[in-house]
Amino acid sequence: MDRKPRRSFRQRVSEVLESLPFLAPLLIFLVILYGMLGWTLYVSLSNWVGTAPNYEFAGLKWYQMMFRLDRFRVDMNNNVKWLSLGVLPTVILALFLAYMLEIGSVKRIEGYVRTLILYPVAMSFVVTGTIWSWMYQPDKGVLNTILRALGLSHLAGRYTTHPGTATYWLILIFIWQYLGFAVIILQSSFRTTELQEMVEAAIVDGASKLRILFSIIVPNIRGGILILVSLLLISALKVFDIVYVVTFGGPGYSTDVLALFMFIATFQQHLVALGAGLGMIIFLMALVIVIPYTIYAFRKWFE
Amino acid sequence: MRTRDLSTRLIVLLATLVLTGVYVLPIYVMVVTSLKTPVEISQRAYLIPTRNLQFQNYVEAFRLVYPSLINSSIISFTVTLLAAFFGGLGGYYLSRSRSTLVRVLFILVGVALYLPYQVILIPLVQFMAKTRLALTHAGLIVSYLILNVPLASVLMGTFFLSIPRELEEAAQVDGANRLQLFFRVVSPISLPAYASTAIIVFTQVWNEFLLALTLSTPNTTTIQVKLAEVKGSFVALYNIQMASALIGVLIPLSFFLFLGRYFIRGVLAGALKG
Repeated sequence: MDRKPRRSFRQRVSEVLESLPFLAPLLIFLVILYGMLGWTLYVSLSNWVGTAPNYEFAGLKWYQMMFRLDRFRVDMNNNVKWLSLGVLPTVILALFLAYMLEIGSVKRIEGYVRTLILYPVAMSFVVTGTIWSWMYQPDKGVLNTILRALGLSHLAGRYTTHPGTATYWLILIFIWQYLGFAVIILQSSFRTTELQEMVEAAIVDGASKLRILFSIIVPNIRGGILILVSLLLISALKVFDIVYVVTFGGPGYSTDVLALFMFIATFQQHLVALGAGLGMIIFLMALVIVIPYTIYAFRKWFE
Repeated sequence: MRTRDLSTRLIVLLATLVLTGVYVLPIYVMVVTSLKTPVEISQRAYLIPTRNLQFQNYVEAFRLVYPSLINSSIISFTVTLLAAFFGGLGGYYLSRSRSTLVRVLFILVGVALYLPYQVILIPLVQFMAKTRLALTHAGLIVSYLILNVPLASVLMGTFFLSIPRELEEAAQVDGANRLQLFFRVVSPISLPAYASTAIIVFTQVWNEFLLALTLSTPNTTTIQVKLAEVKGSFVALYNIQMASALIGVLIPLSFFLFLGRYFIRGVLAGALKG
């Protein structure tokens, strides 16, 4: 199957025929996927308002409208908060944790901690959102009740009911859910023989623990970090379920994000062209995140 | 790279304790609450387990979510089987060929891999409504396949890349063609890879919310949609909310707890880490 310098027409045909049973299903789904992507783009340039499709061309009308909306500005702001605060602290925390498990723990503790922080990966955001809604609930919620019982009622917060800080508390749920995932990705990056040997050598030389982490480990796991950051960014960008379940964008639309607005604009306000436009904005942001990642994966795959 | 350094050990111990609090508390409160009566819950001793366990909470919760459990099972298992099968085929070719077609395909798959569903949601809803697929489980099954076949292909491909080719070369000398190679030589030794892929796809589909919310009809309501509904309509009945949520996580959580190795391998392969 490898590339040969010259192939006759018949060889090419037989090669394609040979690949068909393998690639046909994948191709079909990719065609549907990219076809629908194009369709969304087209809808975003149409004048579709209401439940019945209307493909009358309207140019950038709905994009212009979108950029003028205060809600869009709030959403972009919140999405930036999700992308930065959902990702950076998770990566840093995971880095220290993974390192800690790697150098300072006994096998049994490592297994325990991994299971402990990884179980949320198996749970849906709907479930996590249900639990945390209750943890956060201001007057009857678990956190405030515990704080009050400890005589710390001045620490009791309004969590997701305060418009100014609600998004941060939502992001905390995301970090809680993804920390374990981040740790196992980084841990698997640590486990190359070269890196292990370098670290052993540094320990013998008497380098400090932090120095080893930042001067030896971090520069050598850049690939792993790139992958982790990309995956977390994409998940933070896609975030919909947590917001839907915990606050539904409220109070007001202070915790709204693009993904939720897209849903509301399309299926509740029936501004389908606007919804499609929001979808395209999400797609473009996703593309910026995914392209470096795909190039990296491509190189590794075909090396 | 282990150390016996005392201060490091202390830090590890401390961190372990903090993490235990942060990760056990929510699930502990959940389980304890799910077994209480509303009156007991209103006394706000959330951390103290009750003596008279209300197992009928689970009976009631189960009655509520039962139809959606069936729907989700039908949808998730079908998607998992098909995606693993198609993904095995596609992933195998992606891992073995270096033709231009395959390189282009890889880029297209890579971009598709983690695409937000929002970008295809409107056409999907239109398509499902037009073809009336939305009225049956087939609507959600097809929708999930669109994004999960590329994912499964990459997962399987990652595993296939790590299989030495000598085996196939030997069989090729004996005159086996590609399909025979795949089904008789490669697939049988790749069952763990199929298990990992299946677990990942299953968990994804089972936990998916946006598509389920927009595409499900009363006959196809999935567990996540039902759980969100329960949370909305049983606002004060935390015991029922928590019991339903626990029932809803049972299947993926048991995969994680009992097949953890495959689960983690799948997560790593999904991150293209092999």
